[in-house]
Amino acid sequence: MGEIAVQFKHISMEFPGVLANDDITLDIRKGEVFALVGENGAGKSTLMNILYGINTPTNGEVFIRGKKVEHFDPGVAISLGVGMVHQHFMLVPSFTVAQNIVLSREPKKMGVFFDNKGAEKETEKLVKTYGLTVEPSAVVQEISVGLQQRVEILKTLYRGADILILDEPTAVLTPQETDELFAVIRKIVREHGMTVIIITHKLYEVMQISDRVGVMRKGKLVGVENTSDMDERKLASLMVGRPVLYENLDKEDDIGDEQIRVDDLVVGDNRGLVAVDGVSLSVRSGEILGIAAVEGNGQSELLEAITGMRKIESGSVTIRGRQINGMDPGAIRGIGLAHIPEDRISTGVCADASVSDNLLMGKERNPEFNTLGIAQNNAAIRKYASEIYEKFDIRGAGIDVNVGSMSGGNMQKVVVAREFSFDAPVLIISQPTRGVDVGAIEFIHEQIIQQRNEGAAILLSSADLDEVFRLSDRIITLYEGKVTGEFKASEITKEEIGYFMTGKRETEAAHE
Amino acid sequence: MNEKQNGFFANLAEKLNLRYIGSLVLSVLLAFLICAVILAVAGYDPIATYGAMWNGAFDSLRHVGDFLEYAMVLCICGLACVLGARVGIFNVGGEGQLLLGAIFACQIGIWLQGTTAWIVIPLAAVGAMVAGGLYAFIPGWLKVKQKVDEVITTIMMNSIAAFLCQYLAKGPWKNANKNMVAATARLNADYWFGNLIPRSNLTTAIIAAAIIAFAVWYVMQKTATGYEMRITGSNPRFAFFSGLKTDKIVILGMVVSGMMCGLVGMFRVYGVEHLYRASISNDYYFEGLTVAMIAQYNPVTTIYLSLFFAVLKIGAQGIELIGVPSQIYLIMQTVIIFFMAAEKGISESIQKSLQARRAKQAAIARMKGGVSHE
Ligand SMILES: Nc1ncnc2c1ncn2[C@@H]1O[C@H](COP(=O)(O)OP(=O)(O)OP(=O)(O)O)[C@@H](O)[C@H]1O
Ligand SMILES: [Mg+2]
Repeated sequence: MGEIAVQFKHISMEFPGVLANDDITLDIRKGEVFALVGENGAGKSTLMNILYGINTPTNGEVFIRGKKVEHFDPGVAISLGVGMVHQHFMLVPSFTVAQNIVLSREPKKMGVFFDNKGAEKETEKLVKTYGLTVEPSAVVQEISVGLQQRVEILKTLYRGADILILDEPTAVLTPQETDELFAVIRKIVREHGMTVIIITHKLYEVMQISDRVGVMRKGKLVGVENTSDMDERKLASLMVGRPVLYENLDKEDDIGDEQIRVDDLVVGDNRGLVAVDGVSLSVRSGEILGIAAVEGNGQSELLEAITGMRKIESGSVTIRGRQINGMDPGAIRGIGLAHIPEDRISTGVCADASVSDNLLMGKERNPEFNTLGIAQNNAAIRKYASEIYEKFDIRGAGIDVNVGSMSGGNMQKVVVAREFSFDAPVLIISQPTRGVDVGAIEFIHEQIIQQRNEGAAILLSSADLDEVFRLSDRIITLYEGKVTGEFKASEITKEEIGYFMTGKRETEAAHE
Repeated sequence: MNEKQNGFFANLAEKLNLRYIGSLVLSVLLAFLICAVILAVAGYDPIATYGAMWNGAFDSLRHVGDFLEYAMVLCICGLACVLGARVGIFNVGGEGQLLLGAIFACQIGIWLQGTTAWIVIPLAAVGAMVAGGLYAFIPGWLKVKQKVDEVITTIMMNSIAAFLCQYLAKGPWKNANKNMVAATARLNADYWFGNLIPRSNLTTAIIAAAIIAFAVWYVMQKTATGYEMRITGSNPRFAFFSGLKTDKIVILGMVVSGMMCGLVGMFRVYGVEHLYRASISNDYYFEGLTVAMIAQYNPVTTIYLSLFFAVLKIGAQGIELIGVPSQIYLIMQTVIIFFMAAEKGISESIQKSLQARRAKQAAIARMKGGVSHE
């Protein structure tokens, strides 16, 4: 394994107000799985974007297989065999899977016309070779995030990548999907001699999949180690600069009145098929109800229906005693609900607006920010935004830059900070820590528990089962839009719950 | 530390703005240069032509008044377009809204003949706004509720409005004068806006226009409503998710845009033409829209650029006096747009290659300097 696939030499990258990469020198060996870890905003994506030719470094050089990169451009990188799956996907939503995969290298009929059949055949071939199953004719906007990611990976493989960069690929995956992905990674490394660079915030994944690991902090590469010499604790403290202890969360037992009530709810998905099929549930104040389900079993649609983002077909949803069928999100928020959505880019932030504008949303009519109702009070707004920015330890180039330029985890912190700032008695939370580093996860979890202890009723959905277990008081499992079981979190194990998540019913499992 | 950062970003914002201004000036100069070449090839003396253009705009107070009036039209039309763009809707239908506003405002003055101007003028303004606003409501509603593309509907509705007005001016609302084919009756002189510069087109309407321009700027830049409009235009899903009534905001933005266009129609009738006929507007809205586009939908820039293009346009009438076709103005406008559009791509690629060069030089310097790191 002596060969070098990629060499970074003294790479620095400066953005207005931030030094995102600071003199990084690093070799990636051919045929290895290299994990890159570090806090939100440490500069991981930036470094990988340089390798993929999206960013031109302000300083330093990159060599791919010994060949110096003269011109930073994704087209050049692709031709040098580099492929990248981004933290935020870059697919054409209205195209089919096959069309997305062959995009820019379409098979042609008679040299001109797009050959759809050919594209689907190519896709089938890829699917067979690499064992990543997708339906070639499905439209991308109608498939789950997990599947969209497979499409992204297949796309790079189709373009002949042999150095594959995966930017937080597992953030959007279920444990099963993660296992499948790792199997694929092992296979392409072993059988196809590929080199894989993977960014992740989940340290056990680093231990599981990587040969070597690089740790970044505040733009600098602070260590490169053989994974076998490390453990999760060492990694975490190297990353954050202090030990990270997942202390037990202090949960007070003070459960109050029913705040969320869902009766026989039926909701459709984007294709008009039934996604939520007669779900009933109830959450009381001071309680967290967690939803455990494999991606695509109706949990997204359920939460969207409760928050007014999706039409209710039948059944009813009652928030704090008021039936909300047919209300828009604004009216429902008015009853006292806040919502952390699953997809931060499309729903959770306005990427083209500043951090301060994003933090203000929902409060812009408050008298303190809206002098006499006729002028925005910019001084007060800036002060407020700065305070939240500090409190949630958001790291970026300040409150005036566009949210779109922030690192993924910090963008998530903006969403969490804003939604928690309403102090709403009802919280609907989806994937609260997706893409967030270990230190910040700790903080967000504490915040969620604090809201709960102060009497909020919380409905939580997360692809991360550990998170569901850690936070929830009760857990329900969803399978194909139906509730398959309900448990006290303390009375069931992760293994047992997996059984219900795959469709076995409570009654079939144990006659109690 | 925080202070320093604020200062830094203020500087940055300034720099970016300077870049825009720089590229604007450059585009304008290039446009003048290219038109000079075209003129020379066509056998005209460019220097003399530009001289005549300058004279055409500035040689008399009357011409100054004319270009100010035209700047007013461009500015209000441009701001109407900016307002739509702000909430994410592209109002291409301003021309139709303007024509309808003009003809209804005119007809109100004719119906109420004999009533005091204190009643007629406000009523005519309201009538123009209602006509323009309602006419903009239709495509706005169709976009929001039925997902019908507003560009297509507004373009079609422009034709419908033009034909409808033509019909009205030739038919039911036609004047008694046998020689004028397609025009309404003339307004009573009591209702005319007063001239600010004798014999020019500049009337007291410009005061109303200035107030409107200020109000639009203020609402868009300084109020919570403007903030909500901006967020809605930029990410409607996020705006809806956050609790804004996005449908209402988009429709309202479009309706107000239409009302402004309708008012421009009324200003044209009560200020300049004193009756309705098709020449009330020669695609003036589209010129306003062009200005808004060049201004990158920034309200303040729209106001400045309106003045500039108005000077060009009125000046172009001056060059006709020395026998040069005034269409040269259109060529110039197009060239400026072309360069503004190209500028973005060009400056980006220059920046990229500069960065690459800097990186290379740094690397060479390091190599020459021998060992530096490690
Ligand atoms: N296009 C850009 N313009 C301005 N600043 C940027 C841009 N891209 C990244 N940054 C800044 O560079 C820093 C590093 O960001 P980067 O996305 O590389 O972090 P990251 O390590 O990938 O974090 P995360 O784990 O949250 O994804 C951040 O402070 C970010 O705000
Ligand atoms: Mg990142």
